[in-house]
Amino acid sequence: MKSAGVTSLATAVTTATVAEAQTGPRLVGPGDVPVTLMVNGKRLELKIEPRVTLLDAIRNRADLTGNKRVCDRGTCGACTMIVDGRTVYSCSTLAIEVQGKQIRTVDGLASANGTLHPVQQAFCDTDGLMCGFCTPGFVVATVAVLEKHPNATREQISKGLDGNICRCGTFVRIMEAALKAKQVARG
Amino acid sequence: MANKYSWPEKPVLIGTAIKRLDGPDKVTGRARYTYDINRPGMIFGKMVRSPYAHARVVSVDLSAAEKAPGVKAVLAYVQPGAQVMYQGDPVAAVAADTEERSLDAARLIRVRYEVLPHFANVEQAMAPDAPAVFPNGNTRQGSAEETGDLAAGFAKAAHVVEATYSTHVIGHVCLETHGTVCEWDGDKLTAWISTQAVIQSAQGFAQGLGIPQANVHTITQYMGGGFGSKFAPDAQGIICAKLARIAKLPVKLMLDRKEEHLDTGNRPSATAHIRAGVTADGTLTAFDGQSWGTGGAGAPSGFPLPYIYNFPSRKRIHKDVYINAGQQRAMRAPGHPQGCFLTEILMDELADRVKMDPVAFRVKNLPPAAPNAMWAEYFARGAKAFGWDKRHATGDPAPGPIKTGMGVSAHRWGGAGRGSKAHMDITSDGGVVIKCGTQDIGTGTRTIVAIVAAETLGLPVSSVKPEIGDSTLPFSGGSGGSTTAASAMPAIRVTSVMARDALFAKVAPTLGSTPENLVAEGGRVFVKGTPAKGLSWKDACKLIGTEPISVDGQWEDGLSGSGTSGVQFAEATVDIETGIVRVTRILAIQDCGLIVDKLTAESQAYGGVIAAINFALFEDRILDRVTGQMVNPNMEMYLLAGMSDVPKIDIMLNNMPERGVIGIGEPPTVSTASAIANAVRNATGATIRSLPLHPHRVLAAIEQEKAGGTN
Repeated sequence: MKSAGVTSLATAVTTATVAEAQTGPRLVGPGDVPVTLMVNGKRLELKIEPRVTLLDAIRNRADLTGNKRVCDRGTCGACTMIVDGRTVYSCSTLAIEVQGKQIRTVDGLASANGTLHPVQQAFCDTDGLMCGFCTPGFVVATVAVLEKHPNATREQISKGLDGNICRCGTFVRIMEAALKAKQVARG
Repeated sequence: MANKYSWPEKPVLIGTAIKRLDGPDKVTGRARYTYDINRPGMIFGKMVRSPYAHARVVSVDLSAAEKAPGVKAVLAYVQPGAQVMYQGDPVAAVAADTEERSLDAARLIRVRYEVLPHFANVEQAMAPDAPAVFPNGNTRQGSAEETGDLAAGFAKAAHVVEATYSTHVIGHVCLETHGTVCEWDGDKLTAWISTQAVIQSAQGFAQGLGIPQANVHTITQYMGGGFGSKFAPDAQGIICAKLARIAKLPVKLMLDRKEEHLDTGNRPSATAHIRAGVTADGTLTAFDGQSWGTGGAGAPSGFPLPYIYNFPSRKRIHKDVYINAGQQRAMRAPGHPQGCFLTEILMDELADRVKMDPVAFRVKNLPPAAPNAMWAEYFARGAKAFGWDKRHATGDPAPGPIKTGMGVSAHRWGGAGRGSKAHMDITSDGGVVIKCGTQDIGTGTRTIVAIVAAETLGLPVSSVKPEIGDSTLPFSGGSGGSTTAASAMPAIRVTSVMARDALFAKVAPTLGSTPENLVAEGGRVFVKGTPAKGLSWKDACKLIGTEPISVDGQWEDGLSGSGTSGVQFAEATVDIETGIVRVTRILAIQDCGLIVDKLTAESQAYGGVIAAINFALFEDRILDRVTGQMVNPNMEMYLLAGMSDVPKIDIMLNNMPERGVIGIGEPPTVSTASAIANAVRNATGATIRSLPLHPHRVLAAIEQEKAGGTN
């Protein structure tokens, strides 16, 4: 299950209240402000408006276009990223809210020498993709499910992927891929 | 008649399960879709659209937007006095240096409208006192199609069923929205476009902009779904190109999700009032149908009716009804899911009247069997595999609120395709490039292009480099009507055979043989029957010299066919206290001629079935009846299946190599909704004659059945 940035937002509000008591609310923007993101282990220094989402910051400003924008309001999961170990809808998470957190996108899953992540390999092997536009989100969500439940049942995989939508209808093969990747990961 | 181009009798690759070549690019995010193209200096376009279902544009004031921060181009798409005919009809556009600023600037474009009367549904448009909204009439009555003696047919009938059946409007909901990135170099335009027709789109840009087609280069390496809605640049493509010309910068203009729902096509609604007769022994006698439907503002809504089954006398008359909503476009097997549903629900009702099993009743009333009409065989195979003998009569007698039922349905589709051209280069280093101006819309075209070339040259798939998705490549048509494979594969085969024969001519002297006596298999070129007397592919290609083998070929008759048939079985459970339907099993039996890649062909069938589960249970375009505005132009209130909604699906493909390549994109999506609805009827005993099978509609039918009957 994904949080559409709600948890991080709540955290930020609490922090702000504490800070407010001493110095008053800190205003940022309008206009570009510096934002630093840790994406796939690399530091990204951006100058963006505070309203820019994590997804748009990464796609439009850093040219990391693997994760897709589809519904743009936290429903379809094509933008799914892993932030500090939890899946988030990056289309509904502000970039400025996830500074200092570890952000993982589909672009960073394969190893540097190009070897696919076992989940990526399994998607290729079972044909868990057609047009491929939902695929990055499904791949990231599957990685997250299997990291959380290395021994995931069919039901756990199903629940873990229910936040993602495919329009071509690849679900059957995605389930095969997840089950196959689980076995690879477990050896 | 077999000739040198005929499909190989014992293929090594064709018909086996071969992984998609571009899988690794898609799973890593390396694949660049139009949405992902970022060009140096690129800015972002945003359209302004009518908020009203019908209005006259009084004025368009661009001045505030022109002065907004970051704005580089602004344009009015319509002139004062023009009418907008639906919510989302394009009016103006802007481009700014960031996407956020383009949204701000679009809000500053001030459009004044004079609101006019509109229709939000067919009932309003068909009302006797309806205002004249559409210039050539609010409806268009077609001419009657009639065969046989209808009165005599009904006279022979022992039972007559008379009822009204309907299907609803759904959208394509392409995950990658429609859009383009346009970049000018002088008077030459390069456009990355999310399309099902890369070469046709170049033509569309040329016509829309009034420039020579030779000055347009379109590119579609990857695209995120079309389903029939992406064949032209449309307004957004032309606007994007114009904004780029004004700004003298590359412009990206991808529609947002709401625009995608409002203005990129839909599957028209279909309604029919039908009378149908059957004899006591279960022979159909007569069909009399009056149908109507809406394809939106001024667009047609035709569909085949009755579907498949043999009514000796039949009459049908159809009326297009125009409402103020975005225009329909072809959607995966256009017309067929509608005609299939309207007919197949009726078939189960007729079967019950004569107390026949629905499968036996259908088989009795089929047209004669033929290679493109294999239903009788598929009904028999499917019934056995699905456990149809365990089906109870209408109405699950089991106690408790969860009722289970089975349903069945049959369908057909044309497929076929022709006219593709291709080019192959073989270089002295053994490299093979096969080029064809087709496109891969997710169906696996890139992969099957390589499979056919590799099969012909006796090479592994990885040794062939396919180039597609670019308007500079040899002509191939748009990917619609399940025609891509049947159009492109023969061209690939012919071209590959020609190139292979050219290589044989170069190699024959060295092998002391003649070209006709050589074969290419297993990565070698050798003398027929004497594998030892040959060369490796690499060594053979060394004989080519500096000038590569370079051949052009095209589609030839005899390698492709037309006409497919399929049957589907569904099992569903219905909670009669909540009205919630869950599909538990689907069996799809489908032919598509020669199967090129078993893996991707099966994926297409899975996809078609799941698309139709969406059609049956989830999707619904809802227009507010007062304002004509879409209530659910998003993906949280416009429902689509997720992983937990997908049942067990079994696919049985019938490979028919002797028929050549036909195509499979559309047929598997035709029957599913009808089979599910019949399963719901079998479970509950209530006949639901309209889609979608949303819980409140299912409950209402169950209540009606208790109160006096739906049958």
